[in-house]
Amino acid sequence: MKEGKGRKRIPELSKTPGTPEETGQSGGGICPPGRVGRLAVMFWTMAKIGCFTFGGGWSIIGQIQAEFVEKRGWMTEEQIIDFMSLAKSFPGIMIINMSVLCGYAMEGAAGALSAAFGLSAPAIVAIGLVTYFYSSLKSNPYVEKVLNGVRCVVIPIILQAAWKLKDRSLTSGISYVLLGIAFVVCAFTGISKPAVMVAGGVLGLVIWRGGSEHGAA
Amino acid sequence: MVLLKLFLSFMKIGFFSFGGMTMIPVINDEVLVHGWMTADEVMDIVAVAEMTPGSLGINCATFVGLRTAGISGAFCATLGVMMPSLTLCMAAAHFIMKLKGNRTLENIMSGVRPVSMGMLLAVAVTLGRSTFWAEEAAVSLAGFHWNLAVIALVCGVLMFRLKLTIPRTILLAAVLGLVMG
Repeated sequence: MKEGKGRKRIPELSKTPGTPEETGQSGGGICPPGRVGRLAVMFWTMAKIGCFTFGGGWSIIGQIQAEFVEKRGWMTEEQIIDFMSLAKSFPGIMIINMSVLCGYAMEGAAGALSAAFGLSAPAIVAIGLVTYFYSSLKSNPYVEKVLNGVRCVVIPIILQAAWKLKDRSLTSGISYVLLGIAFVVCAFTGISKPAVMVAGGVLGLVIWRGGSEHGAA
Repeated sequence: MVLLKLFLSFMKIGFFSFGGMTMIPVINDEVLVHGWMTADEVMDIVAVAEMTPGSLGINCATFVGLRTAGISGAFCATLGVMMPSLTLCMAAAHFIMKLKGNRTLENIMSGVRPVSMGMLLAVAVTLGRSTFWAEEAAVSLAGFHWNLAVIALVCGVLMFRLKLTIPRTILLAAVLGLVMG
């Protein structure tokens, strides 16, 4: 309902600040100028992303990368990588944390709210429907099959996101070592993710304090 | 009053958990104490959360809120569970944007970035283990779900090589799951 409103507003808005040619050329007509327009697009895009967050929600990393970095250029790849670790390290829900961080980076506090509510809108609608039909869905074997299919595609989505973000995060030999250590620790031990992040930050501080001086010279 | 209780309870759940399955014990405590749900219903909501998009926390808050106090209950509970993101993460985002270009922060982030990539790959492994192998069975050839691995492979190739968009890939996976899951 809210999405619909936001969407309708876009063409009206784009008349005032930008010429029709401008709106036509930017991102195939889906990127209107103006702050409210951007907020509406963020809400709507996040709602679209929110329809496909299965399997722990890690697929949103790939989707945010595709929508906001590749398609619109409203964020950078570095921001995604930085926010990913923060979102996981902060208490609360990872994907909501992620949407708040990304929204804030794009449009401040209003952007954060728009992104967070956009992302959770489909979940709220879906839960209402599923709760209603729960008993029939629970015993339906086809539902289980569809979910199995959806769950396993999360893995290639994560790998693709990692592949695209690798150039920005793996800048030197040492960073590959850090990646290896972090991978082993996270995959095979129960050490908490925030602790791993803090360790990475401290190591970065120690390692690159000397290294960056070399780089600058 | 109920609305305020819902909001506060789920705010607590948000602040004391790190998303996903780690929320279950915390959710369990809160909703059982208030008599909002039974332990069986909590397990049901986990199943429902798996069926629907969105995270377990949001789904659970909406479900409990809806059951306890209707639409406004759902809103309060959901807002509550989102509070850590809306406060802590907002503050973090603010500082990061402010300190952009700061040398020390850049150095810290140079360490955090590869670590978070390692974490992302570890997530892929953990998810792979729970998706491709039957849960109880040890990781062995016998318990391997070949059909699911084929779905993942086909979708992965289509995505990497033919640039299939993520929503389309997920829909394709759902169809393939229906056929061979």
